[in-house]
Amino acid sequence: MPAKRKASSNVKGDTKAGRGSIASTPGPGTPRSIGSSDEYESEETEPESETVKNVKANLTVGKYQAKKQSAVQGRDSASHWFGNNDFSYLSLKPDHENRPLWIDPQKGRIILESFSPLASQAQDFLTTVAEPQSRPQFLHEYSLTPHSLYAAVSVGLDPRDIIGVLDRLSKVPVPDSIREFITGCTHSYGKVKLVLKHTKHYIESSDPEMLQRLLRDEIIGPLRVQGTEDITTTAAPKMGALVIPGTKNAAGVQQATAGDKPKVQEDENANEPDIYATLNEDDDDDDVEDAVHAFQIADDAVETIQKRCLELGLPVLEEYDFRNDDANANLEIDLKPAAQIRHYQEKSLSKMFGNGRAKSGLIVLPCGAGKTLVGITAACTIKKGVIILCTSSMSVVQWRQEFLKWSNINPNDIAVFTSDNKEKFTGNTGIIVTTYNMVAQKGKRSYDSQKMMDFLTSREWGLMILDEVHVAPAHMFRRVTSIIKTHSKLGLTATLLREDDKISDLNFLIGPKLYEANWMELAEQGHIARVQCAEVWCPMTTEFYTEYLTKDSRQRSLLWIMNPRKFQACQFLIDYHEKRGDKIIVFSDNVYALQMYAQKLGKVFIYGETSNAERLRILENFQHNENINTLFLSKIGDTSLDLPEATCLIQISSHFGSRRQEAQRLGRILRAKRRNDEGFNAFFYSLVSKDTTEMVYSSKRQAFLVDQGYAFKVITHLQGIESLPDLAFTTPVERRELLQHVMIHLETDISNDYENTDDLFHRVDRDGTGSKSLMKKKKGARRTAGTLSDLAGGQDMAYMEQNRSRNKDLKKKKGESSAFFKKLHREQAKKRDAWKNDE
Amino acid sequence: MSVSTSASFEYLERLPGVTFRRLYQQPSTALAIFRRMLPHLAKTFVMALLYMTRPLPLTDLDSWVQPNSKRERDQALSLLSRLHIVTITAPSRDDPQTVTLTSNFGSSLRLALTGGGEHQSFGVPSHNALANMDAAFLDDYARDQWEGILHYVVSSVAENRGHGGDGPTASVKHLLEVGKLVTKGKFTGGGITQAGFSFLLQEVNAQVWTMLLLWIENAEQMGLDSVEVLSFLFMLGSLELGRAYSTSTLSESQRQMLTYLVDFGLVYVPSTGTTQFYPTRLATTLTSDATALRSVSAGFDAALTAASGAKGFIIIETNYRLYAYTSSPLQIAVLALFTRLGTRYPNMVSGRITRDSVARAISHGITSDQIISYLGTHAHPQLVKVASASGNPVLPPTVVDQIRLWQIENERMKATPGFLFRDFDNLKEYEACVRYADEIGVLTWKSDAKRMFFVTRHEQLRDYIKSRKGK
Repeated sequence: MPAKRKASSNVKGDTKAGRGSIASTPGPGTPRSIGSSDEYESEETEPESETVKNVKANLTVGKYQAKKQSAVQGRDSASHWFGNNDFSYLSLKPDHENRPLWIDPQKGRIILESFSPLASQAQDFLTTVAEPQSRPQFLHEYSLTPHSLYAAVSVGLDPRDIIGVLDRLSKVPVPDSIREFITGCTHSYGKVKLVLKHTKHYIESSDPEMLQRLLRDEIIGPLRVQGTEDITTTAAPKMGALVIPGTKNAAGVQQATAGDKPKVQEDENANEPDIYATLNEDDDDDDVEDAVHAFQIADDAVETIQKRCLELGLPVLEEYDFRNDDANANLEIDLKPAAQIRHYQEKSLSKMFGNGRAKSGLIVLPCGAGKTLVGITAACTIKKGVIILCTSSMSVVQWRQEFLKWSNINPNDIAVFTSDNKEKFTGNTGIIVTTYNMVAQKGKRSYDSQKMMDFLTSREWGLMILDEVHVAPAHMFRRVTSIIKTHSKLGLTATLLREDDKISDLNFLIGPKLYEANWMELAEQGHIARVQCAEVWCPMTTEFYTEYLTKDSRQRSLLWIMNPRKFQACQFLIDYHEKRGDKIIVFSDNVYALQMYAQKLGKVFIYGETSNAERLRILENFQHNENINTLFLSKIGDTSLDLPEATCLIQISSHFGSRRQEAQRLGRILRAKRRNDEGFNAFFYSLVSKDTTEMVYSSKRQAFLVDQGYAFKVITHLQGIESLPDLAFTTPVERRELLQHVMIHLETDISNDYENTDDLFHRVDRDGTGSKSLMKKKKGARRTAGTLSDLAGGQDMAYMEQNRSRNKDLKKKKGESSAFFKKLHREQAKKRDAWKNDE
Repeated sequence: MSVSTSASFEYLERLPGVTFRRLYQQPSTALAIFRRMLPHLAKTFVMALLYMTRPLPLTDLDSWVQPNSKRERDQALSLLSRLHIVTITAPSRDDPQTVTLTSNFGSSLRLALTGGGEHQSFGVPSHNALANMDAAFLDDYARDQWEGILHYVVSSVAENRGHGGDGPTASVKHLLEVGKLVTKGKFTGGGITQAGFSFLLQEVNAQVWTMLLLWIENAEQMGLDSVEVLSFLFMLGSLELGRAYSTSTLSESQRQMLTYLVDFGLVYVPSTGTTQFYPTRLATTLTSDATALRSVSAGFDAALTAASGAKGFIIIETNYRLYAYTSSPLQIAVLALFTRLGTRYPNMVSGRITRDSVARAISHGITSDQIISYLGTHAHPQLVKVASASGNPVLPPTVVDQIRLWQIENERMKATPGFLFRDFDNLKEYEACVRYADEIGVLTWKSDAKRMFFVTRHEQLRDYIKSRKGK
């Protein structure tokens, strides 16, 4: 079939004939030439430099060809709308209606009809070979990138298969530029390997020429560890001899021992024989060499070298053949029989263990879709030492608990390393759960930590799980990945997005994206909650808008956040949803606004300065106390906060145009407990002040979710808001008072309004309050809510008195009661009275 | 069809009785009007009266109609008399009111139905017809011509984009401008108008009639006889597709008219023999009655959209991306009016509806409702299927809301017509007037500093000022 296509595409233009014949013999190692076929004969470095350009410019080949063709093929009167993106010259296949794809020859974008009968098959295929761009209801968009192709090949797909399947699914013949792009990105894959031997990194290849070339490279050359001999030649590792005859046996053994996981893989393959048929077949061919050659590289140069190698068109293979690793001890761990993995979790894991080895990479699942279980299952499959990095000591505890819950691991084998918990596991291997900060910290450490760190860095780990990979700054990863020696890395996140372009760094630091779930699909299947998204437009009041126009941009944001109409909308929505029986989280990035809102409305709140004990108390109350239904959170609550009770989310201020924050916040309500109730909907409101820059940010923020298929309904008027009793700021006097208050605040110091800490630098770590000290009462200073200006007397004290923090009520209760629930009622009655008296 | 019918009615009803009498001399005209213009009840009346020798008393007519359908009867009769098809005697004390067919109409229609006569109003077939002239060719020809016109209307937005086609002739362009379907404003940059966009949204038959009526109005200024023009059009409607007709029997002004009709694509004149012409489907369906028209025009629409296949071709997603299964430059150009187009494939184009693209459309006078109805009527069958299965609207409500909001966004300026009062002699005078204006509730704006104010009505205030002056 492919041959036929090629013939038809060659008819199109004589100029392409030569090129077509080269492209038609794709295969590993075939040098590609662009300009003319002369280069075919020339030295190997020549086409290589072409490849560098290709990868860098991400498809210059495509551009070259498309222009040429459109010049030949007629353009009609509508062409000018499209510029260079008019591909109407592509010839449709006669049976195009039965095929679901279009392919853009220039940028490698793919459009998929999701209503086509072949769509589900095509979707599976495309998530493997391409990056999903948008997945709404009918037409999905993907794009082919070097990374995605690299990931596809590392899963075991052959470039010829990729092109073949694309060709089968596509309405138009796969353009030559795309064919070349695919083969170009993948043909040399697997030539170079990055291996970890005795805690040292080596670049390994069976071809000494290849290594010589790398050493001559101006970037890689200097990174070799000095003092070691140029290239070490060893006999091929015995795994080569073991694997080839034993692949099936090994799989069989694993199947027998590892329980359900390998079975899952088998099922996968059975379901999609045509796409994955070659999965386990030919990737061991290269290992038959007698000798491999390697040179050692510096630990912190791994990323640079990986990046450079990809530029050179030699993506580095980083696989861990854990079943044949005898150097490291095995860990006794298995999933409990009761543990059920969902189909998408299976699918993502099958990508990771596609050919019986562990690949490093990222798995992207929506919040609440069970990332932890994916990590645990991965650990259970590898059965070696595992190190888990989380963002906060809260999640350290959660991870440990989840491990104990889902797997049969001996509690002694799973240890926690935080600032106050420095355990080691008892056996010769085990699991360590820690935070990024603990590991990446520089400078002097306590004796205990140092000893623990030495322990961590001195051994080889089978798997490193990086939780919430998107939050950590790249330099932290660099440090973490360079000091801890692991055979494979698994990054878990819901939102592979950063507004700075740092996300592509992850491809080198960890590995390619292995799997990305479809949010809408999971919502339909009930794995995550269905959410109604709405953007509420709150007009600015005249007074606020006048001020808004005269202020500089830094001060403007406070004005749009404190917009009285927004406050009213927030009050109304809280009231409405509390009556419906929802548990509500209100997010505000701005701490000043957070306190103002929370105190005025008499709700509890948590922000960076809130002590751990108070946090826990508030969260507990929010979950179980039916009188505490609304919780105000600053951005410390954006990630890894697990509150399945929450069903409604209101956002009053946010971090500019951060798509990631929007998605993460939405994630807080995706795991709603009641999600499988008939007709249940969670609610996500974003309050936006009209005619301000916030509108622009808002639409930017939504871009990611909208591309996932979420629809934001615009609400311009909340029905019945006028008739809400006790609606705040209804009179101009009140509004002016508020404005005055805001203005005074602006005059003083607004630098503390935003916690410039990212979620990672959790105060939990700074204070060193770990799981143990949660039990201790009154650790550290007794903290009251307030800003620095409070302490300086810059705040209106009378105002503070009126709007007493609800947090304190909870605290008092907790402090006095030993039998918590018994006293609770009495306290509440008392509090209610006090409440009335206050007003 | 209702659009064209009402438009042509309006035009016809404005014609004087003399014109009608002359029009009805042609049996083809009488037949066409009978077929195309009349509601069923009116047709029944006409048929009943056709061979009646004596005037029919109105009371007898009443007995044919059910008592509860009196309104329909009145409507039918008034239409018939407005079109000068029947004459109804004035009510008098002595004789009962009677109704008769006007003699010209009656005789012509009888002639048309029974045949015979030397009127040649149904065209004279030409005998040496070209062999290769088939319906498909004519359809293609008509489509090209008509799409050329539509295309001009659409892409007049972006002037001088130098698209490949020749576009319509200068006279047609002039006509479109006179009809305010496009503007060539010096200041606004010109482009499609709101009327022009409504025109695009109509069905082909309605579009043809709109153009023809524009042309007829214009033709009167050129000194062409409107009777000959109209009867020629009605004759065209009764011709047969794919047959050659002779131009020899046409009058001078009718022959002149032929060149315009060629521009519209209504007739085809082969370059070799100028003595014959071929009506295209556009012409032969001009006066088909509504039911016939539905199938014929459906056929024609299919021909027009042949390249793009199904009628509904647009998929709009909740992320404002728009995918249209079309390869027709015309449809793409229409989409380009309110979409930012991105990529084009052989049978599909993709784009995005953005705030800017909608704002641009609105600045050309296209309304958000027009855009929404365009998207709705051309929605892809998949959208319709999913919508009907789930009971949701066809278009994603968020997108519809957003398009509306984008329009409202620019409509926040509210104009209040009224009167400005200023240059008061002194502060007291000013204050008194403002107070009075406020009391009677006409004050909309005032500036104490500038001593001027604005009111919606001035009569009372004028009297008040006068009376103050008088004091």
